[in-house]
Amino acid sequence: MDILNQFSSVLLFTIVAVLFTLIPIFIAYILAPRTKGAKTLATYECGIEPYGSAWIRYSINYYIYALIFIAFDVDILYLFPVALSYTRGGAMHEFYALVAFVLILALAVIYAWGKGVFTWKRKCSR
Amino acid sequence: MFPVKFALVEKVLDLARANSLWPVTFGLACCAIEMMAAAMSRFDLDRFGAGVFRASPRQADLMIVTGTVTKKMAPVLTTLYEQMPSPKWVIAMGNCAISGGPFVFEGQYNLVEGVDLLIPVDVYVPGCPPRPEALLEGFLKLQEKITGTRRFPRVESAW
Amino acid sequence: MSGIIEEIKACVPGAGPVEVSYPEKGYHYALEASADTLPGLVGFFDEKRFYLECLLCTDYADYLELVYLFNTHLSPCRVKVTLKIDPQHPVAPSLSAIYASAYWYEREIHEFYGVLFTGHPNMAYLFLHDGIDHYPLRKANVPVSPEDQKRLDSFKPGEAEDTFCINLGPQHPSTHGVLRVVLKMDGEYIEQAEPVLGYLHRMHEKMAENRSYQQFLPNTGRMDYLGAMSFNLGYVLAVEKLCAIPVPDRAKFVRIITTELNRISSHLLWVGAYLADLGALTPFLFVFDDREQILDVLEGVSGSRLTYCYFRFGGLYNDVDDRFIAGTKAFVQRMWRRFTLYEKLVTGNVIFINRTKGIGTITKEQARKYGVAGPVLRSAGIACDLRKEEPYSAYNEVEFDVPIGEHGDVLDTYRVRIAEMENSLRIIEQALAKLPGGPFMAEKVPKKLKPPRGDVYQVVETPRGELGIYIVSDESDGPSRMKWRVPSFSNLMIFPELAKGVLLADAVAILGSLDLVIPEIDR
Repeated sequence: MDILNQFSSVLLFTIVAVLFTLIPIFIAYILAPRTKGAKTLATYECGIEPYGSAWIRYSINYYIYALIFIAFDVDILYLFPVALSYTRGGAMHEFYALVAFVLILALAVIYAWGKGVFTWKRKCSR
Repeated sequence: MFPVKFALVEKVLDLARANSLWPVTFGLACCAIEMMAAAMSRFDLDRFGAGVFRASPRQADLMIVTGTVTKKMAPVLTTLYEQMPSPKWVIAMGNCAISGGPFVFEGQYNLVEGVDLLIPVDVYVPGCPPRPEALLEGFLKLQEKITGTRRFPRVESAW
Repeated sequence: MSGIIEEIKACVPGAGPVEVSYPEKGYHYALEASADTLPGLVGFFDEKRFYLECLLCTDYADYLELVYLFNTHLSPCRVKVTLKIDPQHPVAPSLSAIYASAYWYEREIHEFYGVLFTGHPNMAYLFLHDGIDHYPLRKANVPVSPEDQKRLDSFKPGEAEDTFCINLGPQHPSTHGVLRVVLKMDGEYIEQAEPVLGYLHRMHEKMAENRSYQQFLPNTGRMDYLGAMSFNLGYVLAVEKLCAIPVPDRAKFVRIITTELNRISSHLLWVGAYLADLGALTPFLFVFDDREQILDVLEGVSGSRLTYCYFRFGGLYNDVDDRFIAGTKAFVQRMWRRFTLYEKLVTGNVIFINRTKGIGTITKEQARKYGVAGPVLRSAGIACDLRKEEPYSAYNEVEFDVPIGEHGDVLDTYRVRIAEMENSLRIIEQALAKLPGGPFMAEKVPKKLKPPRGDVYQVVETPRGELGIYIVSDESDGPSRMKWRVPSFSNLMIFPELAKGVLLADAVAILGSLDLVIPEIDR
């Protein structure tokens, strides 16, 4: 029960967040009129039937962006406890350690930038 | 059982829907230019709530059919209409969308004579092309149809 | 080009070119070819740097006639080559190997007349819908042959592992109308772009055969709704040429004033819509403000805001009054100041320049092979403007420049159009100063026109480029065949070539720079 007391605010936050998303959906479900045509749930492609399936091999360029995003997502995860500990009152050397941490991770992006990952060549001749 | 209808809630919802009708960009022909002119600064359509023209029908609730509907375009139009979520309304703008317009002749092979042969239409705005003020009047009529009352005074003709 | 008759005779024996009267007919030379001499002739024209202006078909009762119009860009020399075909077995050789512009013209003739072009890579249907069961422009009701039934569904891409096909569909904010382009994409790059047309095919050419000359006047404004005055002008000039109707001077000057006002409003809308495609939404509002000033002026004199029908055979619908002249003068004063605004807002913008510099470069040879016209042609460096090459109305009495670009890229088309707007203002100022008095309509224009038998070809320069109108008359009061050679059709032909291997965003920029108006493509 002790753990329930400590995390009661987190529990309340979770419940309100979930309700916040579910209540408008419920309201729309009971109040809005419903229609269904033959093509209502089809994929939108400017009014035409889409060709082929969407599960194909995509170009590698998109993958690089996803990769960099994942790296920085993990970075953010590590920074969450830092945000919580700010109220404790910290010394300057902790701040410098944090800056060093972020800079080392930013080196990855700078390396990618230098390698030209973020520029797409204008015309690719086949 | 669903959908539930509460009279007062319906009134409020109708008011909200009428004053924020978001059209889908469906400009087919010449009337599309007059629709664009109606959305621009002189004949501002945004003051009636129809500011954003959505490119995707999934986010729109009004389809202004501006221009001629040909037989090749008809399945595209019905697909887009079906992909709009309800509640949805349709304004047929221009003579071509109302009844085929000036392109009806004996031996015509490619025209759908009026968009109401394909989808249900709420308001017809005649003209070739109708002036932007006519489109605004069509808008007000649609708002009147949705809410039941007309917000702005009817302009009496001076003649 | 003097001496061309001898050159043709020397190069292709068996051809018999004759010189015709250009003011009466609209072309300089005519010659009749046969299926044997046609390839030699076409090779000759290609060598001499001619471009294929138009390729059309006419249905006379006992034969079908293919008409090829060849022309040079500077110093016009228009040669009309005709080829008779048997209507029971309509077959003709294809030119698409030599002239890339013939590729779509032949597909169009195939679906409207049933003519099969041997050697054509892909005779699929271009305009008509799947349920069509006859050849529409044939005079008799000829049902679609069984081989053509299989060609009805035009584009069916195959499945591939690395690429996917996506529709830049009929309902799209960037295609400026109902144009559908099927893009085969490899990631973000386009491998192949194939336009599918016909979503706004309103049967203008069939209507022309069912209407009299006067009854067809409103159709001309609907074909290109942004440059309706120039389409009107081309049509009335063509019929006036056919029936030899004189036009008073006042009408000539008013015609060019209104046409140039229309040109400015069309270019303004292009600037706004093109920048909206690129993502800059502010200029759209500014240009519509300027356009409203023009539309007020033109509405006061013609009655419509957009699809004008102001010109009549022999003059105008009604005269211009002082309000029009004052309004035009006020607009011209205002517009000169607005150019600095557009300079500051758009032209120097670094994002705009990065998105348009070096994109979609057109070489002069490509421009010739595809027959592109208008500002797109002038941006490639060819200074061909029909108002100067083949002057009509009162254009030879006003002074203006023809702006050209250097590289042929999209930024050059923008610069050319802005410069054209400035030149249009100059033309309007000069024409207003020179406006003569007198009647605005020729006397004694017959209510029922009785044109002589024969054909005429009239060209005008619309905001999009070269418009050609070919009328065949059979002495009745309506045309027997009317063909509209529209600039957007030939400009769109170059898009699949330019879009190979570019990013999707750049392809949208290229498509916008061609300034297409779809109803004139689909007619």
